[in-house]
Amino acid sequence: MTDTANVDQKLKEAYFTASQGQLIWQRFKRNKSALAGAWILIILILSGIFAPFLTPYDATISGRDKDYLNGAPQIPSFCDSNGCSMRPFVYTQSRSRSIKTNFRWVTETDDSLEGRRYVEFFVKGAKYSHLSFNINLPGEALDFKIPGFTFETHLFGTDKGMIHIFGTDSTGKDIYSRTLAAINTSMAVGTIGVFIAFVMALAIGGVAGYYGGWIDSALQMITDTVRTIPSIPLFMALAAFIPDTWSAEARFMFISMVLGLIGWPTLARRIRTHLLTERNQEYVLAAQLCGASPAHVIKRHLLPSFTSYIIVDLVISFPYMVLSETALSFIGLGLKDPVNSLGVMLQNVTSADVLLNYQWYFIPVIFFIVLVLAFVFVGDGLRDAADPYSDSH
Amino acid sequence: MFLFSKFVAIRAMLAILTLILVSFIVFSLMEMVPGDCAERYIAFKASQGSVITAADVDAERVRLGLNRPYIVRWVEWIGNAFQGEFGDSCIQRLNISQLLGQKFWLSLGLCLASLVLAYAIAIPVGILAATSKNAVLNNSLRLVSYLGLALPNFLLALMIMLFSTVMFGDSLTGLFSKEMRDAAWSYERVMDFLGHAWLPIFILGWSATAFAIQTVRALMSDEVGKLYVTAAEARGVSGRRLLMRYPARHALSPIINSLGFDLNRIFNELPVVALILTLTEAGSLLIEALARSNDQQLAGAIIFMLTASIVTINFLTDIILALTDPRVRRSIVG
Repeated sequence: MTDTANVDQKLKEAYFTASQGQLIWQRFKRNKSALAGAWILIILILSGIFAPFLTPYDATISGRDKDYLNGAPQIPSFCDSNGCSMRPFVYTQSRSRSIKTNFRWVTETDDSLEGRRYVEFFVKGAKYSHLSFNINLPGEALDFKIPGFTFETHLFGTDKGMIHIFGTDSTGKDIYSRTLAAINTSMAVGTIGVFIAFVMALAIGGVAGYYGGWIDSALQMITDTVRTIPSIPLFMALAAFIPDTWSAEARFMFISMVLGLIGWPTLARRIRTHLLTERNQEYVLAAQLCGASPAHVIKRHLLPSFTSYIIVDLVISFPYMVLSETALSFIGLGLKDPVNSLGVMLQNVTSADVLLNYQWYFIPVIFFIVLVLAFVFVGDGLRDAADPYSDSH
Repeated sequence: MFLFSKFVAIRAMLAILTLILVSFIVFSLMEMVPGDCAERYIAFKASQGSVITAADVDAERVRLGLNRPYIVRWVEWIGNAFQGEFGDSCIQRLNISQLLGQKFWLSLGLCLASLVLAYAIAIPVGILAATSKNAVLNNSLRLVSYLGLALPNFLLALMIMLFSTVMFGDSLTGLFSKEMRDAAWSYERVMDFLGHAWLPIFILGWSATAFAIQTVRALMSDEVGKLYVTAAEARGVSGRRLLMRYPARHALSPIINSLGFDLNRIFNELPVVALILTLTEAGSLLIEALARSNDQQLAGAIIFMLTASIVTINFLTDIILALTDPRVRRSIVG
């Protein structure tokens, strides 16, 4: 009897002395779909970061398979009419057109024993490097280079020829390699965009909420105006400024910045509203009466009161950044070819040729829906977990 | 009555102020695009074979009034814009109102139709979801609204195109059939339009519907638990009558309030969906102007008109709110 009471007491104590982060984590863990979303998200982010290792080929034109343009996905198998093997294999396939085929594209498959390409693991392939930065902005002074670490081992490959588990596109680039590279790009664009939006929102919303009065009214007017203009048309108008001469990296930086520059109003409004309500709360008054300086009040009381909300808002706004970038690249105003992103990969899929014959162009869409869904689930779970009253109902 | 007209006047002034700010942003964007109208005209002349000097460009600038200060030109632009006049497009050398003409109203009609569709679906479904204890229904609705977020309209459009091409061999694109494209408006053309427009309306309304279901559900489930509903129930009101007379009326104001932003969301998707479904309306014209021809006058006019219709909707919803809810009237004026 006393034992259970003791345990109860311990649990209660743990509950009441837990930090806000621990409480949020406790509540988050109970939400099964959010937890599943978090795992999927982690796996996708890691596969984006380690894309060069996980994928057999370079995602740019240098990794193309010139004998297998618009090739169908090759599924490794263990058995065929020539018998089984312990090692999975695909066939040697090539696509070509000539006068013999009436200039239609045809696929030739060599399904003899010699035509088998055995799948091997940890093969040596194209070189890639991690932690290397090579920023090439317009202007000489801004260029800098960090070599990083170079590797050449890939998770899988074949003993001869190439393997394309998601097929290839019209230039022979491996769609699987491009997909994982595209996840990486999207995460990078989203991170930069969210970061810029966050800094701007913090500055503008913070000033409006802290000073109040006419400054607040003026800033609110501007924020509301920017919110009224449909953002994608505005993105398009800004992206149309990019001169054709810019490098892919410069484009990438500019697009991420534009996303951030337009994404701030919603967050700024939230920060401002929160500051306005919180600064009149009793705990702030109590701290002020105890003689705390404004800096102390902001740092120790106001900021912790809404960091969790800000984090939640950032996670929720992330997929919007990714999707805006996709829409922008899709219509040809965003990222361009050497950079891979979902929008870039989907650029030419509306042609009847692709729709009728090469449906595997759409495989990356599945990954992106899963990525965005995972973000939405995690964001929703975090929002519920960060709400201290969510337990009561 | 006096209170009400004062409210309307203040709201109208705020709306006009917003439009002026928007016009400033849009006009600045148009100005920031490298190259101006004079250079474009002259470049065209040069391509026709005449020899061009820098003096010619300057003379052209004077002729077009481009040498005047920025603010003067902005005031002129906004003055004309409020009269629905946006000048000429330098690329196509055509009057923009003529160029946009009915295409803009076509777009607005499509977007408003999808907004109506979104709420026609969302209000009953959302109320049902908030009051029903059916776990299967609730979970499937949650999934649909999550998909509305994760599968943006243009990806949905792509998927539908892929599906219909593979299954029926028809990609279901366009707003009119071939023979009707340039015909004058007639009964047949309207029917032809409706036969094509249902798909874009559905696709444009997709995300908005998912969001609206979420909103309606959240608002309703907040309201049904409240004491006044219990009190009404105790007085013997029940079933649909109870829901419609008490919680639904309360939940309505925030929904009316958010209509402007829903329209904003639909406008966001319009250009890309228009591109995929090859709709011949303002959205695809905007992409054309921005991505292909760099036609800043046309793009600016379209963005301004889109925003103006959102501001108008916001103004109208404010008036409707004030008509239905006396608290709103007092709060703004007071």
